[in-house]
Amino acid sequence: MTERAEGPWRVAVSGVGAVSGLGWGSDALWSGLSAGRAAIGNFIRFDHAHHRTHVAAEVPEPDGALAKTLLGRRLSLADKFALAAAGEALAQADLPSLGGLSVGLYFGSSTGGMWEGEAFFADLLAGEPRLRASLLASQQPNGPGDAVARKFGIEGPVETVSSACASGALALGAALEAIRSGEVEIAIAGGADSLCQITYAGFNSLRSVDEQPCRPFRAGREGLSIGEGGAVLILESEERALARGVRPLAYLAGAGASCDAHHMTAPEPQGSGAAAAISAALLDAGLGPEAIVFVNAHGTGTPLNDAAEWRAFERALGDRARAIPVTSTKGLVGHLLGSSGAIEAVATVLCLAHGEVHPSSAGGEVDPDLGIDLVLDSPRRLGAFAPRGPSMAALSTSLAFGGANAALVFERADPR
Amino acid sequence: MVITGCGGVSAYGLGTEGLEAALQEGRPRLSEIDRSAGYHHADPSARLALRASTQSLTPWLQPGEARRMSPPSKLAVTAARQALAMAGLADPEGRVAAEAEGDSPGPGQATAVVLANSFGPSSFTEHLMRQILLENPEAASPFYFTECVANAPAAQIAIAARARGANITVVQREAGPLLAVAKGAAEVASGRARRALVGAAEEMTPLLHSFLDRFGALSRGPRGSRGADGEGESARPFDRRRDGFLAAEGAVVWVLEREDDALERGARPIARVAGWASAFDPTAPPTDWGHGGPALARGLVRGLIRFGLAPAAIDRIVSGASGAVAGDRLEASVLSSAWEGETLPPILAPKGVTGEYGGGFLASALLAACGAPFGPTAGFAEADPELGLIPHDGRPLATPRRVLATGLAAGGAATWLVLESMPESMANP
Repeated sequence: MTERAEGPWRVAVSGVGAVSGLGWGSDALWSGLSAGRAAIGNFIRFDHAHHRTHVAAEVPEPDGALAKTLLGRRLSLADKFALAAAGEALAQADLPSLGGLSVGLYFGSSTGGMWEGEAFFADLLAGEPRLRASLLASQQPNGPGDAVARKFGIEGPVETVSSACASGALALGAALEAIRSGEVEIAIAGGADSLCQITYAGFNSLRSVDEQPCRPFRAGREGLSIGEGGAVLILESEERALARGVRPLAYLAGAGASCDAHHMTAPEPQGSGAAAAISAALLDAGLGPEAIVFVNAHGTGTPLNDAAEWRAFERALGDRARAIPVTSTKGLVGHLLGSSGAIEAVATVLCLAHGEVHPSSAGGEVDPDLGIDLVLDSPRRLGAFAPRGPSMAALSTSLAFGGANAALVFERADPR
Repeated sequence: MVITGCGGVSAYGLGTEGLEAALQEGRPRLSEIDRSAGYHHADPSARLALRASTQSLTPWLQPGEARRMSPPSKLAVTAARQALAMAGLADPEGRVAAEAEGDSPGPGQATAVVLANSFGPSSFTEHLMRQILLENPEAASPFYFTECVANAPAAQIAIAARARGANITVVQREAGPLLAVAKGAAEVASGRARRALVGAAEEMTPLLHSFLDRFGALSRGPRGSRGADGEGESARPFDRRRDGFLAAEGAVVWVLEREDDALERGARPIARVAGWASAFDPTAPPTDWGHGGPALARGLVRGLIRFGLAPAAIDRIVSGASGAVAGDRLEASVLSSAWEGETLPPILAPKGVTGEYGGGFLASALLAACGAPFGPTAGFAEADPELGLIPHDGRPLATPRRVLATGLAAGGAATWLVLESMPESMANP
């Protein structure tokens, strides 16, 4: 077994925040995930009568007190998800103020304020005489990240990655690098995306949306389910977190990225690109496959993705692949697109912190062509944590349109 | 870290020769934007832009390949292939490619792609929205959808050039192109990639042009000077009469690699990437520039120190000043704060020629580092006493040792890049 890495530059996750179809806050997320409760169902964001499918994982309305903190004419819905998640993560990390600290922000988003942009465009096409330009104010994918930086007074580097479904994980990789290099002391990393017509109709045009809630890695899977939300992780050196009296929830130990360079939408069928990203993440973490105690898979539920991803696990993890429990957060909260890597990172950290792997969605027989140990129905307990024992790590994968792949390795910390 | 290849498509043609001539002449090549869709306000509104989509992209991109690409993807792939060819990277069949065919390269051997854009493939997004809103959601085209994502150009580069390293698209408005170079350089410097293809690609559609105009971002010409044909519309960096920027489209891609790698394979470095810095101005509203110049300057200096550099080591500035009223004010404040009131080195402000977006600014920064001659600053005629800064007047300048390229974005982001000239630099990349 690989020994646990030591040293002052272990990068700690000192706080997390999340907004998803399961509700506002990481407690709501964990409560739903650990119960295997899917947030995917009917939705009301827009009239979907003329769309091919009719399910999504929509974020519920915030309660009154929270809603008051998210007022702002120029804020998009995705901005609000990002702000709520960042506020929660900073509070959990015991960082009520960032004054005097060197802080960077690393975000992922695929559609940013597209939902509001659609409303503007609809008005424009309808010849509406009084167009609301404020709808476009935060329309670009950098809108949510910039909104967080503005709200919390960040003066360090701020960057948004928009590499489709790998955006959030790539942003976390950038944050890891920024902490290790000493460029910043604190990194706020995550992503946000909201449900909108263009992604809903677009994925339907590819016939890659399941008419039922998605069923990752199941034999009858027919596609993904679109979700929305935001997720944020606070990263800092372990040394710094402990000096502030904050015990890490987990460690971000490694990141890797690659590209299939194969096709705009179809994954390379043998999973070679995704395997390269996983291997790079393990190498970066200084860990071998034997350290991985579970995988939070990209697991969209599309026939091609899940098959190629399984092959990537086999290539990168070897014989160990069949023995490692695998779960898919998307089965419960849907596909958060540019934010999916971030919310799955939060889910992975919560699994490590709670010592159990959340179940995947229900959905029939596991695909017999895959030798996968899918976590079904109820949480799977992780082995007992031994402070001086071998490393217990988890892998989270994100595989995007255009063949962009990203993998993250998180290590378990001494339970809080 | 060196740049061994540069490719581009702009209003000035393929490559950078046309741009270099325009910078020397100090005259932008503007054309009328199509306003027939009725997206623009009735007058007064902006009418002009620097268009690249009229350029023929052959022989770099054949029609059979191009039919599967959005406009910015076509521009990006064309620029990437030019850059790879210039860097001397071709496979045994003579096709330009970042990597050899076969299995994924080993750790650290792949080629990363880091590309910036601000608005994504706008025309395809618009087509898709029209299908969804005016026809039926089921009429949405899968082709438009797959090519309307922001990372389509970067992905198409990877597919066309067989680049299997990290594939990253950054979206940080006007700071994006420099940020893309910085992130690509970091991929190579860290050993995660052997090479990186970095740059920017953007298309300028009538819809996007109208959006920018509605926010007052584009020059409409000083009040009273505008004629019916767009006369008076001009980017006026640092000028007292500035009233907005010129929108542009195009693509620029560079090849980055370690200097020893480049020399070992016989490539000729064009310039070095010597350092970079990023910061954010939280005083900025989402669609404009803020007033946090001194804090941004501290971020710039802190970043330079990480690379063993300081403002005093810079002998040329290629400013991202675009003619934006608040943007140029912030730029002047950052520079004067960073130099602590000392005399600034000569300042080139090429966006009067390149316009904003599309990577023309990146190409200009590289040309400056190579000692290309710059004429008088296009659009500048009258100093703004509030800024206390006069851009280049066209007199001959020696080849600089280190160039600082600046990128302050509306919304708050900022990135700076330091390029170092090579001892025997190619004067014309």
